[in-house]
Order: sequence, then C-alpha cells, then structure tokens
Amino acid sequence: MHMAQLRQDYDKFVAKDAVILVVGPDNKTAFQEYWSKNELPFIGLPDPRHHVAKLYGQQVKLLKAGRMPAMMVIDKAGKIRFRHYADSMRDIPSNQAIIRLLDILNEEHLDVSNNASA
Amino acid sequence: MSETQLQEAHDFTLDDYQGQPVSLSEYKYQKNVVLVFNRGFI
Repeated sequence: MHMAQLRQDYDKFVAKDAVILVVGPDNKTAFQEYWSKNELPFIGLPDPRHHVAKLYGQQVKLLKAGRMPAMMVIDKAGKIRFRHYADSMRDIPSNQAIIRLLDILNEEHLDVSNNASA
Repeated sequence: MSETQLQEAHDFTLDDYQGQPVSLSEYKYQKNVVLVFNRGFI
C-alpha cells in the first residue's frame, strides 16, 4: 500500500520542503481510523463528494484511471511538475524518484529566487 | 522548460479528517506538494 511506502521516507520528504496531501473518497471517520491505525504523519483529506478528483479531471486523467491511485508533484510556484497514474495498487513511483525530483525543484526555486533579487 | 508550458495546479480547500480546512494555495511559495489521489482504503 503506497501510504506505508510514503510513511517510510516521510522525514526525507519533509527535509526536501515537501508536504504530502492525501485525498480520497472515504469519509472523515474512515480517514481518522486509517490514519491512527497506520500512524500516518501526513495530511489526510476526505473527499467523499469527489470534488478534487473532478477539479483535476482535466489536468490529471483521474476519471480514466478508474480506481487506481494517482499522484502529482506541485512545485513552489504552484505548477504541476509530475504526474503518475498507477497500473495497479502496487504501481507507485519510488520515494527515491520523488525525492530526486524535489531536489531539482528546490534547486530551481533557489535559482529563481536568486535571479529575482539580483 | 518554459513557464508557459507548465500547468498551474487548481486551488482547492478540503477539511482534513480533524475538520481543519486545508488549501493548496497555503503552500504556494512555501512548500513543494506531493498530492496523492488515493482510491479508497477498503
């Protein structure tokens, strides 16, 4: 389950200035139970009305992806930099790959900030 | 990659499971966001 995989390297994500938001169709109670049972440190966002899934339906092909999980990485400028659609419940990007991407985004952000103040 | 080719992530607000509102925009300029669309715990 990809929640467990993300939890494993949570410290590294935090160190890369990333926050993990998990959106799902379950209700608040189900989230609460799942979060405390699995001791998940990230932010759980119940979305039983599929509001966010619909919102991202064009930019992220969630509706076509069916019941498989999806993930995106959004940089500090609010731009979508990475999208992944799982083929199966086990098909998730490695934490390493995401962390490498975060390194690149952080470096880029630093460059932009430095240039802006020059 | 030029800025104009990148898509802006739509802002949204959802309550976390403790009832606190969380907006994507609160992280802008502060944090990178890994947004995971989970498909259900069951």
